[in-house]
Amino acid sequence: MSAQTVVAKATDQAYQGGVLIKLIIFSLTLGILPLGSYFLSDKYLWNGNSIYSAITAIVAANLVLVSYIVLSLMEDRQDQKDMAATANAVQESKKSR
Amino acid sequence: MSLCPPYAPFFGFAGVASSMIFSTVGAAYGTSKAGIGIAGLGQFKPELIMKSLIPVVMSGIIAVYGLVVSVLIAGGRKSHLTVRASMRLRLLRSLFNTINSAHFSSVDPSQDYPLFAGFVHLGAGLACGFTGLAAGYAIGIVGDSCVRAYVHESRVFVAMVLILIFAEVLGLYGLIVALIMNTKATEAKCS
Repeated sequence: MSAQTVVAKATDQAYQGGVLIKLIIFSLTLGILPLGSYFLSDKYLWNGNSIYSAITAIVAANLVLVSYIVLSLMEDRQDQKDMAATANAVQESKKSR
Repeated sequence: MSLCPPYAPFFGFAGVASSMIFSTVGAAYGTSKAGIGIAGLGQFKPELIMKSLIPVVMSGIIAVYGLVVSVLIAGGRKSHLTVRASMRLRLLRSLFNTINSAHFSSVDPSQDYPLFAGFVHLGAGLACGFTGLAAGYAIGIVGDSCVRAYVHESRVFVAMVLILIFAEVLGLYGLIVALIMNTKATEAKCS
């Protein structure tokens, strides 16, 4: 297997690994979590005080955003590790030839 | 001239609608403009796509701000609701009821709705809607150009996130003003 196909396969796997499913999960979470937390906290946490439940919904939406940023950063770090590993594999295959 | 004319709910519902409409227009502009940049980036470096989708997620949050203000204005509740025994069916039914039930400050056809409350709700909806429009516009332009620059220089990422946070906080300011205004609506009486 040549060096170029090894690198190409690694990058292919790196960005196809469940990007679509992650996006679907995040879209649904961004839609359901703020509204759900608004109504649930309005009923059970704050006893009808609508300002506090609106603030809870805002905090929930921003938590989803922060978790998305953290997840994308972690995925990027994982991709860089994979790229380094495949670069080592390419070096080894060249040496063994 | 009475304090609770029959045309007062027009202003209240106009506030509900304008909050949702304008913040959605801003979010749509932000999503589409950032999406153009991401489509350009995806041709050269597809592994950066997940990180460059952050402007799109932030535009979605602008729309959520407008949605929360709309729900807040349209369906506030009195605090007399008590929590009975927690059965799953009752929970579902009570959740459905909280959406439909009315408070004095929200719009209810069986109770008189003061014109003051109508104007306050209109102002709250417009405040959230137009600031959402501004925030979405900023997120779109910043997202587009920063994502294109991210192809060539990876250190643009931190600057992009910082600028996007500042742009989104504009929408948050409008939401805070809408919340504060909404509390004033309960002070009006009919006679």
